[in-house]
Amino acid sequence: MKAKILLIVLAAIVPFCQRRIDATLGEHRATEEALYVWSGGYVKRLSPGFENVMADVYWLRTVQYFGGQRAFAKEKRYDLLEPLTQITVTLDPRFEIAYHLGAIFLAEPWPRGADKAEKGVALLKQGADATGSWRLRQLEGYFTLVFLHDARKASEILLEASKLPGAAYWLKTLAADTLTRAGDRELARRIWLSMYEQSEPGTIRANAEFNLQQLQALDDRDALQEAVIVFEKETHRRPRSLRELPRVRTGKLPVVDPAGVPYEYDETSGLVSVARKSTMWRRPLAHL
Amino acid sequence: MGRARLNRVLAVAANTFRESVRERVLYNLVFFAVVLTVSSLVLKELSLRQDEKIVKDVGLAAMDFFGTLIAVFIGVGLVSKEIERRSLYPLLAKPLSRDEFFVGKFLGLAFTLLVNTAVMTAGLAVTLLATGRAFDPGLLKGIIPIYLGLMLTVAIALFFSTVTSTTLAAVGTLCLCIAGRYSDILLHMKADMGAAGGLVQFLYYVLPNFRNFDLKSQVVYGDPVAWSIVGQIGGYALVYTAVVMIAGALAFRARDFV
Repeated sequence: MKAKILLIVLAAIVPFCQRRIDATLGEHRATEEALYVWSGGYVKRLSPGFENVMADVYWLRTVQYFGGQRAFAKEKRYDLLEPLTQITVTLDPRFEIAYHLGAIFLAEPWPRGADKAEKGVALLKQGADATGSWRLRQLEGYFTLVFLHDARKASEILLEASKLPGAAYWLKTLAADTLTRAGDRELARRIWLSMYEQSEPGTIRANAEFNLQQLQALDDRDALQEAVIVFEKETHRRPRSLRELPRVRTGKLPVVDPAGVPYEYDETSGLVSVARKSTMWRRPLAHL
Repeated sequence: MGRARLNRVLAVAANTFRESVRERVLYNLVFFAVVLTVSSLVLKELSLRQDEKIVKDVGLAAMDFFGTLIAVFIGVGLVSKEIERRSLYPLLAKPLSRDEFFVGKFLGLAFTLLVNTAVMTAGLAVTLLATGRAFDPGLLKGIIPIYLGLMLTVAIALFFSTVTSTTLAAVGTLCLCIAGRYSDILLHMKADMGAAGGLVQFLYYVLPNFRNFDLKSQVVYGDPVAWSIVGQIGGYALVYTAVVMIAGALAFRARDFV
């Protein structure tokens, strides 16, 4: 009887102990990550005949590491992202999604990604070379344009992708447009839209949607800026807030970005900008 | 082989099958293999839309890994345990030759593994169905070579089982199985070895090449795998297994139990 009472009492104490620990260390703790084997070649040699399943294991670890850093880490670091992705694709060089998502994780600006655009593009090139996939080559072109802003190179890559078996017919036109209309926001929108349409619901589509929303935020900001200039010309003064603009009052222009954060307006300078605290904010790019 | 001889071999095989299905280790390993395959349902949620690949990879790897463990750990005890328990003596006093006993033991465990592989294949098919995908018959071109590799493993385990103790037989069989999975390295080493290249080439052909039985990646990615390739692998398994079995039978014949 005593043992049973002790069992119940101790079992009831366990959740309290856990709550104390959570209160001290936080409920969602990013575990200290360590990578003991840095070479995909070594892992391959250690798992003869089981390379594919090891690639799956490393891919799961890559996804968990990236998600853990992005969602829970206070100081987001993506140091292990590249080696983990490399080990995955060394173990299974045909793992297309690892190249695709790995490149997104690497190339996206911090804090959404590792801010290593060159590494992301290199990973896509490696994947396209290994698999012969036109989709990976096409993405290599997209990323070269969107993240590295090298229109000439991007156009060459897209042209190369258009020659691969099964490639979409419109890639040649896109290659030409990339060269002639580099820096054009419409072209960037077309690229992200094609990524959105080619993907199934999930991370890739969500990422494309996010980038489309960022472009929308830039469009809205420009339209608001223009409305401020028109207002100033007509009234010989700057509006006190964006809500004073006629097109805002009639609902033709939004005062909040697609993330729901209000656009910032500085009455002194008359400048409209995407709020820095908004997820829609991106480092100012000369061509956008 | 006369009818009476065949009956005696089948009697030993049936008995070996009954004996091995009573082994707790068999159930544990098959249970783990099926649990691992089904657990890929959880893993797929974490993998960002790679469910089908992961389920197939895990299912085939579990079949290969746990099948090898079953072949080794049950195979090594088939003869040596009979000797250690002295249950072999009354058997050999009956009208049953050592060769018949040896072949019967092999067939019994080979059948056990066939049943296990079928159970694991069913587990894989059910897991795939649970993810909304049908079982791709092309996977059989990956599963059959796995089973052929397991038969060769059984033959090697049986060979060691006749010449040494259970523990040493397990070590020897595992070493050969692992070495056989690295046979591609031997092939690459040949060019760098200079005068010793001949020795390396000799080792390449002498060691069982377990890489031959690995078509997992091809079937998972849906590559066209011709039945003729599966046939060639079957031919290799048949010849190599026969060589090991004859060597084992000769060693068993020569063994003095007094």
